[in-house]
Amino acid sequence: MAEEKKGRAVATKTAASIPKFVRGNLAATLKAKEEGKKVAYAYIADGQDEIMRAMDIVPAWGESFAGVCAAKRDAEKYLQKAESDNFSRSLCTYATCTIGFDMVREELGGGAVPDAPWGGMGRPDMILGSAQLLCDPRFKWPQATQHYLRDVPVFVGSMYYPPFDPKMDHHEQEKFYVKYATEELRECVKFCEKHTGKKMDWDRLAQIVELSDRTWDLFIDTYELRKAFPTPMDTGDAMNTMVPLTFNLGTQEAYDFYKQLYDELQQKIANGEGVADPEKYRLIWAAGLPSWFALGDFQYFNSKGAVFPVEVTYRGCEKIERLELPKTNDPLEHIAWRWVRYWTHWYDKARKRPGSLPKVERIIEYIEEYKCDGVVFHSAFSCRSWHAGIIHQAETLKKVYREIPILILEGDIVDISSYNEADTHNRIDAFIEAVDSYKKRMN
Amino acid sequence: MINYFAGVDIGSTMTKVVIYGEGIRAMIIGPTGPEHRKLANKVMEEALIQAHLKFEDLSYIIATGYGRINVPFADRQVTEITCHAKGLHSLLPTVKTVVDIGGQDSKGIKIKDGRVVSFVMNDKCAAGTGRFIEIMADSLGVPLNDMGRLSLTADKPAMISSTCTVFAEHEVTNQLSGGETLPNLVAGIHESVATRVASLVKKLNIEPDVAITGGGAKNIGLVKALEKKLGCPVLIPPEPLITGALGAAILAKEIFEKYTKEGQVPERSKSGLQEAKFFD
Ligand code: SF4
Repeated sequence: MAEEKKGRAVATKTAASIPKFVRGNLAATLKAKEEGKKVAYAYIADGQDEIMRAMDIVPAWGESFAGVCAAKRDAEKYLQKAESDNFSRSLCTYATCTIGFDMVREELGGGAVPDAPWGGMGRPDMILGSAQLLCDPRFKWPQATQHYLRDVPVFVGSMYYPPFDPKMDHHEQEKFYVKYATEELRECVKFCEKHTGKKMDWDRLAQIVELSDRTWDLFIDTYELRKAFPTPMDTGDAMNTMVPLTFNLGTQEAYDFYKQLYDELQQKIANGEGVADPEKYRLIWAAGLPSWFALGDFQYFNSKGAVFPVEVTYRGCEKIERLELPKTNDPLEHIAWRWVRYWTHWYDKARKRPGSLPKVERIIEYIEEYKCDGVVFHSAFSCRSWHAGIIHQAETLKKVYREIPILILEGDIVDISSYNEADTHNRIDAFIEAVDSYKKRMN
Repeated sequence: MINYFAGVDIGSTMTKVVIYGEGIRAMIIGPTGPEHRKLANKVMEEALIQAHLKFEDLSYIIATGYGRINVPFADRQVTEITCHAKGLHSLLPTVKTVVDIGGQDSKGIKIKDGRVVSFVMNDKCAAGTGRFIEIMADSLGVPLNDMGRLSLTADKPAMISSTCTVFAEHEVTNQLSGGETLPNLVAGIHESVATRVASLVKKLNIEPDVAITGGGAKNIGLVKALEKKLGCPVLIPPEPLITGALGAAILAKEIFEKYTKEGQVPERSKSGLQEAKFFD
């Protein structure tokens, strides 16, 4: 039986509309059949959003559904289901939660799952994986899913970007990576054409990509308003407001959402309305996916006068002009450049500071621009892509930048057995004291 | 006139009170029961008797430790991380890294001028805490206080490979029936805890001097094992259990003096030292 927790109160009105978005996305996967549309299992930051939108394929986002299960504290049944077929608890719990859900749905004949949080996801017609450089689950999760959905075709593309090497100039290499990524996207289009029986409308795709670019720009303009003192919105809300960018990219609704958020934040700034009253400490959420079942911890920070005006997590875009993308008429090549440059545009900066790393440069840039007094990481044990490098990032940050207080929270994205509220709050208390003494020392 | 201050540290197994004036005036250590508030009350009374003071003589009181919110007569609550750093710095000012091995958790704290720079905590698993040693002592039938001394007579510490406390208990009893000597097993248990604590603390980028506090500091076998794992000597403060309470008392003094310097009076708890009900 799920242990329902009262939802986290959001600071902005706009963020309060997010559950509607998420429910809408899930409902669309269930309604798709009636509307004669195809459903694809999709994975975030895949570069394939716009292809799906242009071909009227309805994405079913496993990460989003697993997050809903976790937030409703109703994931255990799916985790256990996957575990019963020998999936280890230490595997990505987004993957195991959705695989467990797939197993249940298949046992029920493939239709709607009666007690699934917010109705669950519809059975996919295809699986559109995208491995990138993220982690092993991004390769294996789609394939493992097919083990239970034998008739569902799988495509796993990869959009790599040059790894950072301080001795190497990545500018030379970028074009090869872009070429590779573009080809992968082209294969994805062919795969979608084959399984939808439709041809890609390239003009439509170009328009959608252009809308995505504008959404990226607007997203950053909106989030940069959070530099204000007091900040009008913190990471607690951002873990919600990331939804349109992450799951609805290339849609007008996503763009409109950020326009509304932009207006609301401007209004809050004009009224001097902050998240914490008074705002005493400004923190950066420097890495890690959150514990979806414990988003209330952001309010615990707020209750101590601590706010997060900025986070790295789910800020999966940048102002297009800052990326200095080469001109191209091929929308797929544009997506590839946007993806590669999103990662590499911190490389030059990192190379200039001996011992630094692009991810650390990004954190330093945000600390400086958003005037942060402390750094919080969340090490979600089952997410290897974030979890693995956190200590290294924290150490590098201290070495190349300064002895800023750092808190590494430990937990998971979905698996609530990793979490203890009292101990987490105890750590937060100790951290806030350290930040307080750091601020006094710096002053 | 001397002003007096108190620090109350409610840990998971022990409650400690320090009364501080120009120096330590009294210190009391008692077991933590399920009713933290009542016990804090009682331990404080004992400390006041030892210090020849009345409750009204205390100018400011800080509670720390896991049970800190259950001390109604405390004027402020501060975490044990800050208090340990403060207390230890007053005792051993050259220390930059503190390893605290308590009854149910362990932590590492980096300090600079008595302030916390960073910290790490293990509050998720008993394997790197005093509780692990306690459980093993119990299953081996060795009094807890003898564990340290016994381990020093080992010729080859046994390898305890299980991380899980329950499985390790099996492993230890199996090895015992397989003929392993008691000293080697006890030394192996200490090495196992020391390995886990060291890997936790190494996340902090350890800088000497290193000190150990908490109940673990009273176990010479564990201290030796930790020195081996960290590769450096470890200092032990004169009374390693009271650093948190001492730090709380010193912090109480600093806060009080800061207020009085500004011509103000810090806000005090309304609750006297009367017995409190746990769930009122
Ligand atoms: S391991 Fe982390 S990055 Fe990889 S799929 Fe899971 S949540 Fe995403």
